[in-house]
Amino acid sequence: MDFRLTEEQQELRNAVRDYLAGEHGPEVLRRRDAQREPDDAVWSGLVGMGLAGLLVPEAQGGLGLGLIEAALVAVELGRANVSEPIADTALIAAPLLSPAEQEKVAAGTLKIALAHPINPWIADLGTADLLYTSGGTTVPPVAKALTGIDPLRSLFAPVFSTEDDNLLNRAALISAAQMLGGAEAMLAISTEYAKTREQFGQAIGSFQAIKHHLATVAVKVEFARPVVLRAAYAAEHGHARTAVAISHAKVAATDAAMLAAETAIQVHGAMGYTYEVDLHFWMKRAWALAGAWGDRAFHLRRIEAAVIGRGMTIGPDTVFASELNNA
Amino acid sequence: MDLTYTPEQQVFRAEVRAWMAANVPKTPLKTLEGQEGFEQHVAWERTLAEGNWGMVTWPEAYGGRGLDLIRWLIFEEEYWRAGAPLRANQNGIFLLGPTIMEYGTDEQKARFLTPMASGEKMWAQAWSEPNAGSDMAAIRSRAVRDGDHYVISGQKTWSSRAAFADWCFGLFRTEEGSKRHKGLSFILLPLDTPGVTIRPIRQLHGETGFAEIFFDEVRVPVENRIAGEGEGWNVAMATAGFERGLMLRSPARFQAMAARLVDLYRAHAATASTQAHEAVLQAWMDAEAYALNTYSVAATVMAGGHIGAEASLNKIFWSEMDRAAHRAAMSLLGASAELAQLPDGGPNIWQEGYIFSLSGPIYAGSNEIQRNIIAERLLGLPR
Repeated sequence: MDFRLTEEQQELRNAVRDYLAGEHGPEVLRRRDAQREPDDAVWSGLVGMGLAGLLVPEAQGGLGLGLIEAALVAVELGRANVSEPIADTALIAAPLLSPAEQEKVAAGTLKIALAHPINPWIADLGTADLLYTSGGTTVPPVAKALTGIDPLRSLFAPVFSTEDDNLLNRAALISAAQMLGGAEAMLAISTEYAKTREQFGQAIGSFQAIKHHLATVAVKVEFARPVVLRAAYAAEHGHARTAVAISHAKVAATDAAMLAAETAIQVHGAMGYTYEVDLHFWMKRAWALAGAWGDRAFHLRRIEAAVIGRGMTIGPDTVFASELNNA
Repeated sequence: MDLTYTPEQQVFRAEVRAWMAANVPKTPLKTLEGQEGFEQHVAWERTLAEGNWGMVTWPEAYGGRGLDLIRWLIFEEEYWRAGAPLRANQNGIFLLGPTIMEYGTDEQKARFLTPMASGEKMWAQAWSEPNAGSDMAAIRSRAVRDGDHYVISGQKTWSSRAAFADWCFGLFRTEEGSKRHKGLSFILLPLDTPGVTIRPIRQLHGETGFAEIFFDEVRVPVENRIAGEGEGWNVAMATAGFERGLMLRSPARFQAMAARLVDLYRAHAATASTQAHEAVLQAWMDAEAYALNTYSVAATVMAGGHIGAEASLNKIFWSEMDRAAHRAAMSLLGASAELAQLPDGGPNIWQEGYIFSLSGPIYAGSNEIQRNIIAERLLGLPR
């Protein structure tokens, strides 16, 4: 039992964090927002970091890593609010593709959009090379473009009909990790703002009311993190309780991200309600991902079915159990 | 990351489970906030000690088993899974014990730790003073040096279990005219020392687990002081850290509570409100999250890491989880929530638990104080 990241995992996380902090600041988000189109330079940079091939086997030119690493990278993508379809393509779809497709993903020449009945809309279909559904990949259908809350995430109304829990679970996990990273970023942005913004002759962060708002967010974030990591671990190791762990992660990360977003607005005052500060990009991504891949009600129902319906045990010797007694 | 238990850890779990199954009292004990219940709990502490389970993380020399934190978590999981009672000596074993371990002399360790682990000496805390709760440094009780003794005068209040315990530990002003956190010393004394008067305070539920302690020229040997004269504040801060952190509030206790809450929900599903329904799921998720976080922190500490202000995150989480879960239980019980005995004949543990849970956000440093600590020390906001 060792609930810590390995040195390799920490190095990967730090390398991605440093890279994104340097190359993917708010100016990228603003440029992307003005253009409303994918940014080839950003995509090349992510591919150059090896992120496209993170989960692709080494034989296909990838790094051959697993879901824990994917979750760690997703947290960083969320922190930097990356908008290229890297999470969908590389972290969710890649292991589900054919070797030939994986090779192209690792090389950065194949972008994937994802379709599942849980989502009424498909993200980034317009720029995808292939659409993944439970039956495999197909050519993206012609679809109607919609306007969503997040200006950096394009949505399309599609036509399909099959269920795929594996896809749903992978995607819910990765979006939970992205929201965790986003929540951390919003807490950091708000904290920084509270240190510099002055009212009544002093930094607003010295006021107890502001402190308590931010501390409450810190608690929510801190206790969502191990839940997300445990879900990644359970998925990686094929635990029978993976679906519930992922639903828990999605709920915990969503709650943390929503609270972080609402608190961030409050701390920023009227500035938070403008395009002048960069906060809105993270906030809108949180709102978008909160409803994607199963909303809170959907995941609560999955938890309820296991906990109240099937009597899933808690605690003693089940925290990391690989088997669910009554599954 | 390796989230599996080793074969040795599994064997240990089986050993604890077997012992608990054979020894945990079959009928629930009365509340430890009352005299009779406290004595039942003391008897349980001694039974535990006979099995050498008094304080499993302590060195064997002091009545422990020298277990690491992961095994401590496993022990706790089996303890609460078996429905074992609250630890009546928690002021001693979880707060003072670790403090003596860190700041005490070898002689003090030998003198105090073993009888603490065995339940032979039960401890109360004597920290708060009238008009000084969250403002812990506002201490007026003084200990004046007289040869190899201190002469203590003053008053403490909100002293949990002082009416029933054998000893107390507290902060006293040893430097005349000193202010705030300076000039304080951390001193231990038996509650039957001449000059000590205890006045029980009746709590919300009618029991007298609280008390005021009056000191009228109480003579205490200097060797009962932990760490140097005037260094009491730092020692007390370490004790407060233990109180908020890992050891006092083990996750398994809340996991066991969440499991009971799920059972309660099943019995009342037909009449449950949507809010109660969601609160039950939230309690389940929070108990899991708390356990996962504790495993994560334990792994970090075992690898040489240190927890500081992070304990404040912990304290807010468990205290608010506890209150919300008990509130949900009271809602599920509906009109029966007000009864002391439930219609099925059992004691209304949810009512007692709800009342106790209300104190969680207050004691061990109010949650408002914890939020200040998080904001200032973890987030770096200005004072």
